[in-house]
Amino acid sequence: MRVDARELFKHVTAEKSELYRKIMDAFAAAKRQFRLHLRPDEVLGEAQWNAAPPRIEDLQGALAQLTEWGNLESQPDTARVASISDFYRARFLYRLSEGGEAVESALAVFSQALRRRAELQSVALEDIAKQLQVLRNLAQEPVFDAAKIHETLRDLVRVFEGLAENAQAFMVSIGRSIELQHSDTNAIIAYKKRLIDYLDRFIGDLVSRSGGIAQHLVALDPVISPLLQQASQRESRDAAPVQENEQEKPSTQSLDAWTERWKGLRGWFVSAGNDPPQGEVLRSRARSAIPHLLAVIAALNERRSGRSDRSADFRVLAHWFADCASEDEAHRLARAAFALNPARHFLIGAETSDLPATTPWNDAPPVRIHPRLREYGEMAPRGPLPRVQDRQAERERLQAQLTEEDREIQEARARLASGEPTRLSEFGELDRHGFQLFLTLLGETLPAQTHPDEVVERQTGDGLLRVRLEPLDADSTAEIATETGLFTGRDHLLTVTSMEARHE
Amino acid sequence: MSSVTEQQDGQIRRGDAGRPDGKATRVQSQHIGLHQARYVREEISTALRALLMTPLMTSAHPDFTAVRRHSETLREWFARETGWILNVERDCARLFKRPADLLDSTRGFPDYDRRRYILFCLACAVLERADPQITLRVLGDRLLAFAAEPSLNAFAFSFTLQTHHERRELVAVCRHLLDIGVLVRVAGEEEGFVHHISETSEHLHDALYDIQRRVLAGILAAVRGPSTWAAEEAPRDVEQRLQSLTAEHVPDSDDGRRTATRRDLSRRLLDDPVVYTDSLDPVTRAYFLNQRGPMGARLAEAAGLVPEQRAEGLALADETGTLTDLSMPAEGTEAHVTLLVAEHLAGTLRDGGEPEHQISTEVDITNFIERARERYGRYWRKSAREPGTQRELARIALERLRKLRLISMSANGVRPLPAISRFAVGQAEIREAGTARKSAGQQDHDAQ
Repeated sequence: MRVDARELFKHVTAEKSELYRKIMDAFAAAKRQFRLHLRPDEVLGEAQWNAAPPRIEDLQGALAQLTEWGNLESQPDTARVASISDFYRARFLYRLSEGGEAVESALAVFSQALRRRAELQSVALEDIAKQLQVLRNLAQEPVFDAAKIHETLRDLVRVFEGLAENAQAFMVSIGRSIELQHSDTNAIIAYKKRLIDYLDRFIGDLVSRSGGIAQHLVALDPVISPLLQQASQRESRDAAPVQENEQEKPSTQSLDAWTERWKGLRGWFVSAGNDPPQGEVLRSRARSAIPHLLAVIAALNERRSGRSDRSADFRVLAHWFADCASEDEAHRLARAAFALNPARHFLIGAETSDLPATTPWNDAPPVRIHPRLREYGEMAPRGPLPRVQDRQAERERLQAQLTEEDREIQEARARLASGEPTRLSEFGELDRHGFQLFLTLLGETLPAQTHPDEVVERQTGDGLLRVRLEPLDADSTAEIATETGLFTGRDHLLTVTSMEARHE
Repeated sequence: MSSVTEQQDGQIRRGDAGRPDGKATRVQSQHIGLHQARYVREEISTALRALLMTPLMTSAHPDFTAVRRHSETLREWFARETGWILNVERDCARLFKRPADLLDSTRGFPDYDRRRYILFCLACAVLERADPQITLRVLGDRLLAFAAEPSLNAFAFSFTLQTHHERRELVAVCRHLLDIGVLVRVAGEEEGFVHHISETSEHLHDALYDIQRRVLAGILAAVRGPSTWAAEEAPRDVEQRLQSLTAEHVPDSDDGRRTATRRDLSRRLLDDPVVYTDSLDPVTRAYFLNQRGPMGARLAEAAGLVPEQRAEGLALADETGTLTDLSMPAEGTEAHVTLLVAEHLAGTLRDGGEPEHQISTEVDITNFIERARERYGRYWRKSAREPGTQRELARIALERLRKLRLISMSANGVRPLPAISRFAVGQAEIREAGTARKSAGQQDHDAQ
């Protein structure tokens, strides 16, 4: 019987697909138990019905339909029956057809792939390392043991394929499995802990093992091609015999395949050129999963910041607002629910402090309201803004004053800082700036003097002048006439040197 | 000899006087210390005021840094004085200003009606479930799903986004959320959405927003989430619902109750323009009469306010006029009319004597405004000068006065409350050029 492949899959999408799938599951189970065929009542008894089992008529209809689509094959049932109705019923034995079997196994793979939990295998890493070690030992044997080499390589590839597949699934699912929508918070929190532990362990393993694995791989590099050759030769011997002129082909094919696999394995752990090895990529992916997860947790925590589901709260609140009898009630509810209203205070009153607290408002002075505001309802007069005033003249006058003062100070400095030793008594008269400077110099110099007869020499704080003060006879006196009065004291020999002048 | 030494000493003393000696340094550093302490106090007060005005504050607020810097002090202060909880996070501060006076209906969102509150709630419900970004259109679509619930429609509420008007309502809610800081606009603008239905080019008339989760989480201030009530226990009417949103646990002891009373009063004083003694229940009133002096002083000092203590109650007034959402006196036609009405009502309070004489009807106010227009109308904005607008102006003025607790309104009419006397016509100060101030007697403009 010629069967359309599309027909085989029809039962998956058909109206009663659940019934069909249950039946097919029952047949698949029977197949696993090496049973040849099933009778309808056996199907009814053995299939895993969710609710009540279907009526036998419905089941037979479904079986007939599946036979029509090609999933099942039927043959007349010739067994004895115990009742008249059974006898009159068309009786068949059913078994899976070839196409039906293929569909079943395809669906099994399909659902397995869908259900696969993304995982990274730490164990696989260990196995790979072990197998590589074995391979290295084998490579050092004087005579190649083809069988052992082949077996080891096969194991290695199997383990590695598992690892690679899982890693791939992991990378895809890492984002998907931490989906926020409809996620149960507690589940996420628990998952977080497990995932982080797991990633932690895996990354640790990956780091500690991949170094060793890479070493093995590099060590095997020079000897690997004869090993691969052995394996491929052994494999091609196993292959079904073909025509003579194609003898060479399977061997080459198989060698190519082995070389490719080896390259893949190598690429995983040993960097090729500029690209980082796959293992490295995986590691960074696994690492980045942790911050991603933490971000999700943070978002969840924000959502949970209230004890209740905020979205539901807001919806209930919307109902409460809808139920308000008046706008006033709604405003009161809004203030209680949101508490977002700003404060509201009067502007300050008039003299408030000196009134007794028992004064009624009526007797207290009212707020001082600007007559302008009272009359016009606005504070600033209308009309153009006042003209900007020109302060140029005042600025110039200030500048001139400053210049003059500066000049006088310079003059005083020039006069005092002559560099020549001068007796105080010979100073004669000092003007305001001169005397100011003189006092400053004394103030800076005298503290350094520990004894009235000591000679002091100091540089002023600003570093511009050097002052030398040499006391003269104890009974000498000096008098300096100033604008503010007479300055008297023991006579000194004063030398003020301008440092600027000395540098020039 | 001795005189020389003295003279020498004299020189030395003169020289020393130029340098700051130890004592001067100490005084100066003390001065700096005082200065710093004052600065800190001022900054705390600024932060406190900012929180009173903006209870849900994002980091975009100019005073946010101050709030953050003094978060611990502020948190303690609010907890001690008012029992209000203050949360300060890196990007958002929230003061849960639970109201003490649940009867005040003037403190809702400005320009909101029942319908808009419903939309606001639904929009927040959508945002709670949304990804970090959302567009106006998606928000609208998801909101429609919530709005279509039959239980909501049972309250005669329907929202379809089909009409111009409905789209504008949604946009108004969105703009409010933008103002609060729940949404931050990334691209686009809202106006196009109002005018263009979705069939036209999609991206042109839409807006993209970032959702600020933490701000959103601070929107609801309820003590207990409204959705946590089992169906049979759920509060049934508005009063119960108000209670369920705000009722806090009070320890069952004298001390606990006293603290609760004190915090209740503080909440009123900090949030309301004036607290009248006769508006309080007996227990609170007894506490208020005893404690209002120190309480007012304490709160006023922290918040930079001035207590106005009068026989009828206590008002914490603000010098700058920034600590209010509704200031009086203020500029503009409506504020001017409000001021004139306040003065008029203060007059009736002064002359009235018997309480029943103090009550005015809305028609009285309308007539008063009509008369006032003859005198002041030329300063008012053009639309207010038209005849027939006086009723609208009267409504606005009375609403403002009611919000400031200067009048009470009932079916009988408008009754002035004591604090309205603050706005009686005062002494005018006349200053003549070049001479000292001269105080003129009571000025009665109406008589001129």
